[in-house]
Amino acid sequence: MHELSVMAYMLERVEGHAERLGATKVIAINLVVGERSSFVDDSLLFYFEMLTPGTRAEGALLNLRRTLMRCHCPPCDTDFHPTGADFRCPRCDTVGQVTDDGTELLIESLEVVT
Amino acid sequence: MSGPTVKIVNIVESLLINNDLAAGRNQRRLAEAGVLTINVMAAPGAGKTSLIVRTLEALRDQARVGVIEGDIAGSVDTERVLAAGARDAVQINTGGNCHLEANMVDRALTELDLSQLDLLLLENVGNLVCPTHWALGEHLKLCLVGAAEGDDKPVKYPEMFAVSDVIVLNKIDLIDHVDFNREFFLESVRALNPGVPVFEVSCRTGAGIAEWAAWLLAQRAALGGAAATTEVA
Repeated sequence: MHELSVMAYMLERVEGHAERLGATKVIAINLVVGERSSFVDDSLLFYFEMLTPGTRAEGALLNLRRTLMRCHCPPCDTDFHPTGADFRCPRCDTVGQVTDDGTELLIESLEVVT
Repeated sequence: MSGPTVKIVNIVESLLINNDLAAGRNQRRLAEAGVLTINVMAAPGAGKTSLIVRTLEALRDQARVGVIEGDIAGSVDTERVLAAGARDAVQINTGGNCHLEANMVDRALTELDLSQLDLLLLENVGNLVCPTHWALGEHLKLCLVGAAEGDDKPVKYPEMFAVSDVIVLNKIDLIDHVDFNREFFLESVRALNPGVPVFEVSCRTGAGIAEWAAWLLAQRAALGGAAATTEVA
């Protein structure tokens, strides 16, 4: 349920940007949400719909670009997506090292009417 | 006259930047006061309050420790930590929220006399997902996990183990009764966070608590500041 707080914080920020840009309406909000955030798309959209009425973002599209968690396998020198059972390389069974991929939690851009 | 125009504006900032900014203000305030602050995160029932009580008992004559208790409701834990020797304790009821946020800690800090503290333990709401994203102003993030919860917690909740500065494995007295594979647990922790210190303790028997408390004191000394040399009366 942390999606509620996250959407409330995001919306506060988006309203601030809309004000600064002199926008009358926000038509799209483009987010990057990494797998490691454990955010559930449907929950984000649900709370977004709940919180936006009466704001400049009412009716806006919430676009979510997902990034995946990756591990690096040094012997194979490749990155792999962990299976969810362990962090071992599917090719050689070496324990991989998690990279920074999939940690993003960003407002990438806004589409606004001015 | 031109009509309305549509613009795409690049922003590229954290969704939670307002919380991050508030956390930064908390951290500066705590660092200036020389109060090493630990964000204690764990699932419900892992033993957060028990670890805090054990830590208070172990540091009773060596450091002045304050506690901020985050809970969805109630004040039972605050009474427990004060009885165990906390110099001061403040309860935050999140009113259903699944994690503490920096502005809640900001309000709680106004109720504490930071000049009287060396350490501050922030007990987060029991949850292995939500607290990872919400910086509070802590110097260190602690992930506490109980052996009875299973050795797969790092695989299931990778972000919690990846962002933590120290991991405490509690209930090691149960380890042979609950099929906890220590090697698999540690392998997963290392994949996510190589080099993170892992302490194995039992809050029930007291095993491992002295080592954990000594490490915590060393972190406090490393923070420096005026209070670092304060003798506990």
